[in-house]
Amino acid sequence: MIREFTCIICPNGCDLVATIEDNKIISIEGTLCDKGNKYAEQEIIDPQRTISSLVVVNNGEIPLASVRLSKPISKDRIFDVMNEIKKIKLDAPVTIGTVVKENILGLDSDLIATKNVKERL
Amino acid sequence: MAVINKDVIIVGGGAGGLAAAVELRKQGIEDILIIEREKELGGILRQCIHDGFGLTRFKETLSGPEYAQRFIDEVDKLGIDYLTDTTVLEITSDKRITSVSKDGLNEYQAKAIVLTMGCRERTRGALSIPGSRPTGIYTAGVAQMYVNLKNTMVGRDVMILGSGDIGLIMARRLTLEGANVHAVFARGDTPRGLPRNVEQCLNDYNIPLYLSHNVTQIHGKNRLEGITISEVGKDNAPIPGTEKYYPCDTLILSVGLIPENELSLKAGVTLDNRTKGAYVDENYQTNVEGIFAAGNVLHVHDLVDFVSIEAEKLADAVVEYVKNNSLPECPIVVETDKMINYTIPQKISGNRDVSLSFRVKKNVKNVTLQVLQDGETIYKKKLKKAITSEMEQIRLKKDLFKSRSNIKVVITV
Amino acid sequence: MDRIYDFTIIGAGVVGNAVARELSRYLLDGSKEVNMAVLEKELDVVCETSGRNSGVLHAGFNNKPGSKMAKFCVEGNLEFDQVAKELDIPFVRTGKVVVGFDDDDMKQLLKSKEQGDMNGCPGLEIIDKKRLNELAQNVGGEFAMYSPMTGIMDPFDYTIALAENAYDNGVEYYFGDAVEDINRVNELYIIKTKKKTYKAKWIINCAGLNSDKISKMLGIDGYEIYPCRGEYIILDKKMGEYLNMPVYPVVNPKQGGLGIHLTPSVDGNVFIGPSADYLDCCDDYSATKPVIDMLFEEGKKLLPYIKREYFIRNFSGIRPKLTNKGGYEDFVIEARDEAPNTVNLVGIESPGLTSATPIGREVVRLIKEKTLLRENPNFNPFRKAQVVFHKQPIDVQRKLIEKDPNYGEIVCRCETITKAEVLNAINNPLGVDTVTGIKYRCRCMMGRCQGGYCQTRVTELIQDVKHKKREEILYNREGSYMFTGKVRG
Repeated sequence: MIREFTCIICPNGCDLVATIEDNKIISIEGTLCDKGNKYAEQEIIDPQRTISSLVVVNNGEIPLASVRLSKPISKDRIFDVMNEIKKIKLDAPVTIGTVVKENILGLDSDLIATKNVKERL
Repeated sequence: MAVINKDVIIVGGGAGGLAAAVELRKQGIEDILIIEREKELGGILRQCIHDGFGLTRFKETLSGPEYAQRFIDEVDKLGIDYLTDTTVLEITSDKRITSVSKDGLNEYQAKAIVLTMGCRERTRGALSIPGSRPTGIYTAGVAQMYVNLKNTMVGRDVMILGSGDIGLIMARRLTLEGANVHAVFARGDTPRGLPRNVEQCLNDYNIPLYLSHNVTQIHGKNRLEGITISEVGKDNAPIPGTEKYYPCDTLILSVGLIPENELSLKAGVTLDNRTKGAYVDENYQTNVEGIFAAGNVLHVHDLVDFVSIEAEKLADAVVEYVKNNSLPECPIVVETDKMINYTIPQKISGNRDVSLSFRVKKNVKNVTLQVLQDGETIYKKKLKKAITSEMEQIRLKKDLFKSRSNIKVVITV
Repeated sequence: MDRIYDFTIIGAGVVGNAVARELSRYLLDGSKEVNMAVLEKELDVVCETSGRNSGVLHAGFNNKPGSKMAKFCVEGNLEFDQVAKELDIPFVRTGKVVVGFDDDDMKQLLKSKEQGDMNGCPGLEIIDKKRLNELAQNVGGEFAMYSPMTGIMDPFDYTIALAENAYDNGVEYYFGDAVEDINRVNELYIIKTKKKTYKAKWIINCAGLNSDKISKMLGIDGYEIYPCRGEYIILDKKMGEYLNMPVYPVVNPKQGGLGIHLTPSVDGNVFIGPSADYLDCCDDYSATKPVIDMLFEEGKKLLPYIKREYFIRNFSGIRPKLTNKGGYEDFVIEARDEAPNTVNLVGIESPGLTSATPIGREVVRLIKEKTLLRENPNFNPFRKAQVVFHKQPIDVQRKLIEKDPNYGEIVCRCETITKAEVLNAINNPLGVDTVTGIKYRCRCMMGRCQGGYCQTRVTELIQDVKHKKREEILYNREGSYMFTGKVRG
């Protein structure tokens, strides 16, 4: 099977063509560097994604705080992680960078707050 | 009314305004005021909760709010003055600014004005999409604000028109929040958004992208019930017989950003019809002396990192202007051939090293970019690839310029 | 429901509200106070034809001499300075030119002038190209007829002001209450609506696009409304700088409309339109591509500066015509014996806006022929509009903000509308809480970004002030929900 995709590591945006057989990578063409090769391999075997979403903030100046994962996780766990995120409620104040949930679902990635939310006076 | 004198007033406290302010202060300008109409600084970054910001600048992939906070923290640390919940009502060509807030009206006299007001979105009304007028049709930025800042869900069965980045981002956003995003339709034959977004917002979720398609009819009396899609030809005219009906309750429009230059026009600033932003020289100075522009209000960017860089370069020039009350002439006009949409700046001095930002009109591969002056090639660069959705940059050193004649940037295959 | 209303008006458009206001100057003999209800099927007063037109105060030269249209149009035109003052609404007597290019046009213009002179329109003149260029600088045309008495108003403002003044004088308004059936029992009318049953001594049918249906319910058969849609394009205020008065082409008498014309609005926008297409139903406000393209082309003939990038939005209105063959049938305003204690108004299309208040007086006159009306000693003709911040001089703006800091917070950037104005609009006396209701009452969301900046703020304010859940916010009609709920929580 041939798979075409674009490398996103750097602005070069190399067009990559991978040949895959029996779930094994036979060849990757189009990369200009090793980072690109590594990205391509990862992308084919176990694509990784970060997730950005929102959690409820109680008693804050705004109702929600944006959050994101500190490290990418497997693409196929996206909706599992989303379900965990939807359960979370924080109390104001919220500070950027705070770990909201450590090692979410044991996937070695923390959910961190990306927004400062002050307490509503 | 007592007029308040200021060295520099920055209109708009988003990515551009924040970077300009910090750089100005770092270079010794004390008397700065940022005027921001929202409750907080940060501009559009406040609602861009996805990551991908700061890759080149901070070597990290941050969300929009985090990227903005880096600059807001500096603004606070450096003690730069700013007003929020304050709207600029008028800017005059002699650099007077009238602003209004809950505390009243204020009039300022600035030595230099920095325009960093960002963009507004192209609307459904401007497109004149035929059909009925139900609710459920939102521009992507408005939908993004509702979902990310106002905790408000806009719909359940979503179609998206336009392959710009904001629409792609919202495709993913709405999917993650439980909506069914059925498809993205776009007029062009190549996606307008970044390849990374097509991959991670559409392909990841099996959302199909139909290029060369357009919405030709809206259906639904009170709330949207469906859309008719047609294939379009190269001239964007719908091809008869290709109509298909798709039921949905929400249509997201991501059909273009327009630099928000209403205040600029009233100040006498001349706009470039290609960018809908100001004509500027290499100092980012507009045709009105002492009024400068950078960021999305100057031309629509795709990476905020470049907005910050542009604003910092603007700051260099503003520092010089405030100190010397003038800046060197920029008589060299930058012309382009038909492969290039525009360059920023549009005029240069030829006395200094200068960076030109530009966009190509069509996706190209393995081309040569040349800069010509007086019939000669003064600069040449091989481009492996250039796409319409990504802004490109070239750096021209001052000794390349042989005269004060206009230069032309061309692309040859 | 044992309450018996003296008068019930069906339809809260500009005519229904003008009738309510005029009638509230009087009391039915035996009543100590105004005892009147206006029943409206939509959720606000200006949802259909009344809000979907060019906003022109016509001079009356397009109407057949001797017709009610001609009579009430001229009357409405001549008195409007006074009406606008009483209701505190913007109005400008701009004048108007009807431009022509060839001999046929000139023949038609001379006919129009003759007709206008017969109808009593003051000051009509045939002018040459030079004078045309003086009056309307950027407009195309070889010669024109100039009508100095034509003016422009905001039809939303006029309709809402009439309703608010009527309400202030004791008239009650019921929204979302479509009339389904009318019966006469013991000299009273029993009006069954979607929600309730009303009893009334008198019924006045002002139901516009549905006036034929109400007429049948009253027992008056024989009328049929032929809905005729007209599409419009609204252009950016930048175009308003090129147009200082309405510009019309010479009328094609076979068409049954006034042709595609250009009209400046009191706020500085420019309207192109309307087209004319007969429909099968009376509420299809769709826009169509061929018409939009045609409007653009026709508009450019009259004003060459027009560009597509100045399109803000498009909309359409539907004329409640009494003929499907083009041309006009006169207003039907009658008190028929077979429907005692009713006034039946059918087919009030253009010049209905201009004629509204005189039509109100005519309804009163017809009622007076059948029953005794006394003057209402408490009637107050004056209605105060809310202060429009951006129109005030700076020192007034300062004082406004000092008294109420909400005047310092700009909600709608394009039109410079303050939070105080939006809140006043939300707290309107009629209790309307749809998004368009707020929009019409303060002009937010009507600018070039079409709510891109302010829509999120306006909906949030409506939620807060009216204690509504997100999914309860309606844009204009029942079922026009905007949101499905919260994202979280």
